Amino acid sequence: MRINHHRSSQLLSAYLDGELLPAEAAAVQDHLLECAPCRAAYEGLRITKGLLGELPVAEPPAEFWEAVRRPPPTRAVARISWWTPALQRGVLGGLAAALIVLALALVPMIKGTVDRLHAAEIGVDLYVREHALQMSTEPLADRAYLGVITGDSDLVLAGESAHRQAGGR
Amino acid sequence: MDRLAVMTPMARPSTVRAVQYTPEELARYELIVQRYARHVYNIAYRLVGNASDARDLSQEAFLRVYRALRRVQPDAPLESWLYRIVNNLYIDLLRKRPKVRIESLDAPVETARGELPREFPDIDSSPEAMLEREQLDAAIQRALGTLSAELRLVVILSDIEGFSYEEIASILRVPLGTVKSRLHRARQILQQRLRPYVDARRQGWDE
Repeated sequence: MRINHHRSSQLLSAYLDGELLPAEAAAVQDHLLECAPCRAAYEGLRITKGLLGELPVAEPPAEFWEAVRRPPPTRAVARISWWTPALQRGVLGGLAAALIVLALALVPMIKGTVDRLHAAEIGVDLYVREHALQMSTEPLADRAYLGVITGDSDLVLAGESAHRQAGGR
Repeated sequence: MDRLAVMTPMARPSTVRAVQYTPEELARYELIVQRYARHVYNIAYRLVGNASDARDLSQEAFLRVYRALRRVQPDAPLESWLYRIVNNLYIDLLRKRPKVRIESLDAPVETARGELPREFPDIDSSPEAMLEREQLDAAIQRALGTLSAELRLVVILSDIEGFSYEEIASILRVPLGTVKSRLHRARQILQQRLRPYVDARRQGWDE
């Protein structure tokens, strides 16, 4: 069996490790005898392998032995197992959503009560006029509370009611 | 935070239950520790290149063994499984912390310098100093760090831990030919990275 230079250079590591079939190994050996670049490459690989093999065995620290020998605490295992970052994110997200919903419900409720009191104090008609005026000057910042106007059955829109009354008369 | 991150992704709800092991089972675990702990730590250390990550990684590997103790057959070949755990944990670590990866195989060593721990000596030191063992070790570790994860593990299993191609193929669950080509490629890159040291040893050989 003969092999070319390229094939031989691909097999040098396996040859070095004794991992070739006998026929392949013999062919590589023959090639090495006649090819100086392959001999140099083989030598480089052999030295590199030797360097790695000479590395000292990394000695585990005492804490490693302690941790490995002591059965893992149930608490830590349980914490890692169920209180995962995904779950943490879920719970935090849920809380944030609940807060937003609460704010959305509370703000109109409080504002509605305040406006209702105000409307009761000055009369719905005046209240609506006040806000109609405000809306004409600052259309984007009107603070009228619709609940005051539409919430009570007998408190219809002041303008509408005025028209209706006028028309009725 | 990062250290915990190594551990959390694999945690499964099935492991929540606290297991009460019999003394025989605990003795078996101790035997596994005695037999493999050093190897697991050494492989982890050579993979990650620092003691703190190596410790976390190998501790986590044994935590897995401990949890799975009852499911492991007493005469099952533990070795492949154990090293596969180490490999998977390492890949998880790389995913969590892309910074650890110094992958560019063809980039010059200098580009990696910024990311390396301070205690490593400069590769351009004088030849006398280069021959000192400690510096050589550091240079080898640094060269290992420039390999991609898959090349690194193959070369560690082969040239540091001394496994055969077949054993490596079974640990990594890849074909024999893949082991062969990865190892060859890894050694070529390492040889290039460690050229001053390799050439120093070459003298007197190839005249």
